[in-house]
Amino acid sequence: MNTILVIGLGNVFLGDDGFGPLAIETFRCKYEYPSHVEVLDLGTPGLDLAPYLYDKELVVVVDAVHSDTAIGALSIFHEEDFLSHRAKLRITGHDPGLWDSLTHLRLAGHAPLDLIIIGVNPASCEFSGQISEQVFGSASDAAALIAHSLSEHGSACILREAARAPNLWWLPIEHLEESTAA
Amino acid sequence: MARITIDPVTRIEGHLRVDVEVDGGIVNKAWASCTMWRGLETILRGRDAREGWVFAQRFCGVCTTVHAVASVRAVEDALSLEIPPNAQYIRNLILIGHALHDHIVHFYHLSALDFIDILQIPKADPAKAASIAEGSSSWTGNSRQELAAVQAKVKGLVASGQLGIFSHGYWGHPAMKLSPEVNLILFSHYLQALDFQRKSCQVVAILGGKTPHIQNLAVGGVMNAINLNSLATMNMDRLGMLQAILQDLIPFVQEVFLADTCLLAAYYPEYLHVGRGVANYLAVPDLPLDAKATKFDLPGGVIMNGDLASVRPILNWQDAEFRKAVTEDSTHAWYQGGGPLQPYKGQQIPDYTDFNPDAKYTWVKAPRYNGKPMQVGPLANVLVGYASGHALTRKWTDVAFSRIAAVQGLKVTPNDLQSTMGRYLARSIRSAMLSDLALEHLQLLTTNILNGDDTTYNAPQFPAGEIMGMGMHEAPRGALSHWVVIEKGVFTNYQAVVPTTWNASPRDEQGVPGPYESSLIGNPVVEPEKPLEVLRTVHSFDPCMACSCHTLDATGKEIAQVKVQ
Repeated sequence: MNTILVIGLGNVFLGDDGFGPLAIETFRCKYEYPSHVEVLDLGTPGLDLAPYLYDKELVVVVDAVHSDTAIGALSIFHEEDFLSHRAKLRITGHDPGLWDSLTHLRLAGHAPLDLIIIGVNPASCEFSGQISEQVFGSASDAAALIAHSLSEHGSACILREAARAPNLWWLPIEHLEESTAA
Repeated sequence: MARITIDPVTRIEGHLRVDVEVDGGIVNKAWASCTMWRGLETILRGRDAREGWVFAQRFCGVCTTVHAVASVRAVEDALSLEIPPNAQYIRNLILIGHALHDHIVHFYHLSALDFIDILQIPKADPAKAASIAEGSSSWTGNSRQELAAVQAKVKGLVASGQLGIFSHGYWGHPAMKLSPEVNLILFSHYLQALDFQRKSCQVVAILGGKTPHIQNLAVGGVMNAINLNSLATMNMDRLGMLQAILQDLIPFVQEVFLADTCLLAAYYPEYLHVGRGVANYLAVPDLPLDAKATKFDLPGGVIMNGDLASVRPILNWQDAEFRKAVTEDSTHAWYQGGGPLQPYKGQQIPDYTDFNPDAKYTWVKAPRYNGKPMQVGPLANVLVGYASGHALTRKWTDVAFSRIAAVQGLKVTPNDLQSTMGRYLARSIRSAMLSDLALEHLQLLTTNILNGDDTTYNAPQFPAGEIMGMGMHEAPRGALSHWVVIEKGVFTNYQAVVPTTWNASPRDEQGVPGPYESSLIGNPVVEPEKPLEVLRTVHSFDPCMACSCHTLDATGKEIAQVKVQ
């Protein structure tokens, strides 16, 4: 069983909300990681998150998180930042699902042991099919942060000698060319 | 008179806002508003028709597979393309797995806490609870020890003050009526439901390759390779795994989920007489049994004015009346234009005003069937099946009625199902039916493979001229249809008429309200600040974005969830 899970949350058609799926695809293509690590684009599953988080050792969530930082800036949050004092901080737009799923799992005794949220500050999460330049540009850094988080946890990730071509099927053509060039 | 606004009622993707006017403790007017634009149909125009399903399954984060399947069915319909029986069975099993998952999550995790008062649990007598539970079902997870352990867990949470993180709202509300023991039973199943939510996900994952976004679909069939001698394909091992998962899952559905909704009905009988709303019902036939889709395991049909005897069956997806009868009206929706348009000609050019109850007030259009609003969902599914004498529907509906009667002697009739509680009961009745059908379709698939048929795909050929097609699916939330216009293999128009659009429909050109809106009329509201009764009725529809009634802002306050003027 895979004990570590890296998930991208967000709707790929809601502008910068699609950062999670973009970042995890970038990570998958740039890094080699151990076989007990599973990398998934889960979209916007709401409460349907619970089965994926069940009994995991570590879960890394990548999502758009509104904050006071610059557009495209990355921040790291831990579960206690929002779970222990509900209401202090809104982490991601998908909080209710993440929150409720974690709470159910905790009550039932199957919550993940550790949870890290990597957030990007979005410019806009409106329906558009476009991702902003600043946020798009942070995908590589987010991939490096995922690799760093996993490595710190004892699951070493190594930069691939040649990055694989990412499958970013939802993005307009110009972004695809950029990401291939990078 | 009080005006109550609940915003958002639900969330995951998009938001549902409900406004009600209450006079003398009773709702006399209601408006349902969706506060987010769903523009995905625009994204589909100009796309390759073979790939539409990949985009369509991102319509919603929760009902992913339903849109994927409706999309390929629409394109196949436009091409008059048959798909191999193996592909029908594999798709059916995926749809059943998804529906069971969805119904379990809806009942236990999204709405049961509208009826369960956790604060009562510490007062329960676990031995008495075990005897009540064992009286209503043969499930083995209801022992006194099991229930005592759950009670200890809840006591621990209360003592440590941790219940706060779990507070869903209205505990201690005067409209909470379960005994401490029944609260304990239902909450213990709430915890166990997580395991069964996982198992139903595994059904989808084994066949679909991945969840939540399946990867095995294709216009023309499925991409599952079948080879009984290969480890990497659909083989006897995989079929055996599916069988084992289903055998684990099914007792929970039939002996726990169904029994629990029956307990609720017995303890909240007043909800059998509240929330009827639009009594026109629409269900579409699903779970096709052959390549040409001429026979189905779930019947479709139309019932008007709550008259079950008047049911008109929809025998297949070619149904001429359905194709002519469905329109969408934008008079009260934030789109240009107004009056009814047939989906093939449908448009959505945004025209946002603001919440204006007398003019435009929602992003949801008003779908109509021969000009009438229709209620869709498990209730429509069960009523159509019951009214048309469908044996499996009758079997499980009658099981539910006798279980309700066994609690305190309450007699329930099919007509009583036209209510808020009826929608909860119908969802569990449908789940019990789907459980039987899951085993049947797995058997059909296995037999067909053992008979030497390994075909799963017929390649599509697109003509140069314009073609049109419609794909149906009886999704967990009700009748779904995708309507496509294709030219040279590319979509030139795409419209999805989704279950929540039928149910959350605003008023139409004639001022006739939709199902959510009319179901709220006559609902009691004891405390305007805590309109629990309204939430019960809205949640009974399983609103599409039904995640939580709460949202947080950066300063930690719950955003004006309920506003009373």
